[in-house]
Amino acid sequence: MKKPGHLFFALLITVCSALIISCTPGACFEETNAYLKATFYSNITKVKKTPESLTLFGLNKTDTIYKKKSGVQPALFPLDASSGSCTFIISINNVTDTMHIFYSTYPHLISKECGYTFYHKLDTAYTTGNAFYIYKNSDNITTANEENIRIFY
Amino acid sequence: MRRISGYFTSLLIFFTAGNLMAQDTVLFPLKLRAGIDIAGPGIYLSDRNNFSMEGYFSFDKSEKMAFVLESGYLNYKYSQYNYDYTSKGVFARLGVDFNLLKPEMSLGKYWAGIGLRYGISLFNSETPSFQSENYWGTVTSSIPAKKAMGHFIEVSPGVKTEIFRNFSMGWTIRLKLLISGGGGKDLTPIYFPGYGNGGKRTAAGISYFITWNIPYKTKTVITKPEPVEEEPEETSTQNTGSNF
Repeated sequence: MKKPGHLFFALLITVCSALIISCTPGACFEETNAYLKATFYSNITKVKKTPESLTLFGLNKTDTIYKKKSGVQPALFPLDASSGSCTFIISINNVTDTMHIFYSTYPHLISKECGYTFYHKLDTAYTTGNAFYIYKNSDNITTANEENIRIFY
Repeated sequence: MRRISGYFTSLLIFFTAGNLMAQDTVLFPLKLRAGIDIAGPGIYLSDRNNFSMEGYFSFDKSEKMAFVLESGYLNYKYSQYNYDYTSKGVFARLGVDFNLLKPEMSLGKYWAGIGLRYGISLFNSETPSFQSENYWGTVTSSIPAKKAMGHFIEVSPGVKTEIFRNFSMGWTIRLKLLISGGGGKDLTPIYFPGYGNGGKRTAAGISYFITWNIPYKTKTVITKPEPVEEEPEETSTQNTGSNF
């Protein structure tokens, strides 16, 4: 007859493993902001092209998102969850334009540790000066690494 | 020829009788059980935001298997720097318990085995306030109370032992797999009754039960006989074969 000790030992291991897993305190390691992701393309060759200099800031905001920064590909546009639209001043290789983005907003749970964020559905995006051409690729603005618009310059 | 077949029949009777003599039997009491979980109230003493109560009924189908119905209630509150959350509701689990102990070891008093459950949960969850911060500032919002239904399956190994006549104690580990938490893909419940963290595909928990056992029938269980040496039987078969 087999000793019951083996069974109890196996159950004890299961108990300890389960308790360790369930009682591990959580910390937030996930992305908590849903940015509109914009990839830059050449308006001449229509292939992906990283700007040599990018400046980006919100209209009536003093702090910048990017300031004459090189090598930005893609650019991340933070959206205002309390409003249905955002206006940005964008400068690519010292050519400046105003960009308007219209969207809807809804809450999304990231995790128990991180809490909630806002996801958006992209409606339209355009520039007023027509210095750049914008193509909408995906309207789901989430924390996933998914291209939303293409900016041709 | 008649004498040979008579000899063969005698051998058969002898070995069959030998087998019967090697059989052992155990009188195994089949029981109805009703139990309450003391782990939930125990956890509540250290965490006043997590109140849960749970009980179960089980019915022995045989010495190896029992049908189980568990149900309970949860009132859960959680708060951290960027949100508050509440979840309140009931749950039920339906399934079977398998006793892995041999009947002669278990004797209806000891149980070490594994359970399989399907769980369903009906609850209300609410996020009275949450904050999200980015370049444009901090936005505070809320998600109103919403009814939801969650589904899960569970594997629950554990042990139970009789401490007094017809009273037993024991613990069960709950290893859970989420089927659906309700609330859709954007507003999955942070915590819901019977399962736990609805944001995770798997969850674990523990129950510590005090159980009242009611024997309703005694079953005579034939335990496995000691292995019978095969050699004499093979010899007789060979002899018989040569005779025929």
